[in-house]
Amino acid sequence: MTRWGMVIDLHRCIGCYSCMLACRQEHFVPRGIYFNRILISEKGTFPTIQKLLLPVLCNQCKEAACVKVCPTGASSRREDGIVLIDKDKCVGCGYCIVACPYQQRTRFEDPKLEYFPGQGFTPYEELGKKLFPYQPGTPLKCTFCVERVDEGIKNGLKPGVDREATPACVITCPANARTFGDLEDPHSEVSELIAKKKALPLHPEFDTEPSVYYFRV
Amino acid sequence: MYQTKPYEYMVKYTQQKSWIDGRGVFIAFAFFLGGISGGLFMAAAYFNSVLGMFIAICLSALMGFSYMIHLGQPMLFWRMVSKPQTSWISRGFIFIFLYGIFAIITVILAQWFPEATAAITTFKVLAGIFAFAQSIYTGFAVSYVSAIKLWNSAILPILFVICGFSGGMAILLGISLGGSESQLALMENITRITLITFAVILTVYLWNATYNNVSARDAVARMMGGSIAAIFWVGVVVLGVLIPLGISVGTYFSDASSTALIITAVVTEIIGGLALRYVILKAGIYTPLTAGE
Repeated sequence: MTRWGMVIDLHRCIGCYSCMLACRQEHFVPRGIYFNRILISEKGTFPTIQKLLLPVLCNQCKEAACVKVCPTGASSRREDGIVLIDKDKCVGCGYCIVACPYQQRTRFEDPKLEYFPGQGFTPYEELGKKLFPYQPGTPLKCTFCVERVDEGIKNGLKPGVDREATPACVITCPANARTFGDLEDPHSEVSELIAKKKALPLHPEFDTEPSVYYFRV
Repeated sequence: MYQTKPYEYMVKYTQQKSWIDGRGVFIAFAFFLGGISGGLFMAAAYFNSVLGMFIAICLSALMGFSYMIHLGQPMLFWRMVSKPQTSWISRGFIFIFLYGIFAIITVILAQWFPEATAAITTFKVLAGIFAFAQSIYTGFAVSYVSAIKLWNSAILPILFVICGFSGGMAILLGISLGGSESQLALMENITRITLITFAVILTVYLWNATYNNVSARDAVARMMGGSIAAIFWVGVVVLGVLIPLGISVGTYFSDASSTALIITAVVTEIIGGLALRYVILKAGIYTPLTAGE
């Protein structure tokens, strides 16, 4: 059984935001909503300050709190581990947004919000509305670029190996900080990285068994 | 309350907004109305007050209305019955639905078929069970959120039930004024006990939160000293506990109970119940994801 996952090398991440931009472009993400973020914090006191970069996205948890609390079954986990939201089933109660300990869901409120206020929608935004008709009042989040993964597999490609079948943030990262692959395959690059680098998920104490791992060596 | 800047998102303590800001405030109203409706029905059923039971049904309907305003896609509300296995919102929806049906049948029977005592008792008990369930599920829905340490407490459902019951008792007391003296005295005594219990449980809940976790302690500090401190101290402590408790204790030692004072206690008690739901939802904060804090 496949379980898609991601490993992020924090030592390699340079905080260039290209993953955020690639994600935004890939999914025509509405203004004010992020599927991918880089959290930037500081540690220590002058002159020994350390800047910490933490790229975060939906962890596609195995024991996802969002899936458990969803009253309609709109949030569900596929067999390959990707957590999706069915916009036609979602009632917009916001329980999943509140329950996610990683705060990776955002309610899509205003479909009239333009990237350039007062100037109307750009052709890019118009196209996005056709390709990704997000439902107002429902939450949005990262899907591990499920369209790319599914289409790639259909065309005989291997996600994590072939660019066309791999999430946009992974193939865009100029520092090669992100790796995508099958967590259940012990010979996949992600599994080997987790074993070799002793990668860990973010805040495992939440007991959600995330599919995104981090390491810094 | 300290407003987190966009670049501080999940780097510092981040307030939950989905269930309190904008349209999210209606969930606080829904939880309050659900609690008070359940409490009122249980009290009215015990004292055989048809008017009390009727008002409880109206409050439950208002709860449903408040829920609908909160929902992003209200026309799909019927889908909320789909996941009672794991979702407290789904369970709550079923409780509200069953409570509504049984409570309406009880009121119809009590009003127009008072001789059908066996049927009235049966439906009253069924409605009472689901009234309790409606009252307590809101607490479970909130306490299930493990990411918000202030909420993630086993005391919260009990606090919500006691708060709802004391509010319900206060309303019943208000609508029963002018009735039997002995019944009024009993209602007043029950109200006194529930108010004292509420004050004790609220104190235990907040005290427990201060040593439970750093983010819970921070949330309590924000509640008591931040921008919502006024709502907490005036709304919850003064209006919700001190004034009704003072009136209840005062009337206990006086010979005759004053109608005006009791109505004041009822109103302040209701405001206190609403303020409690508001401050608890508003003070919900997430632990930072980074080690920067």
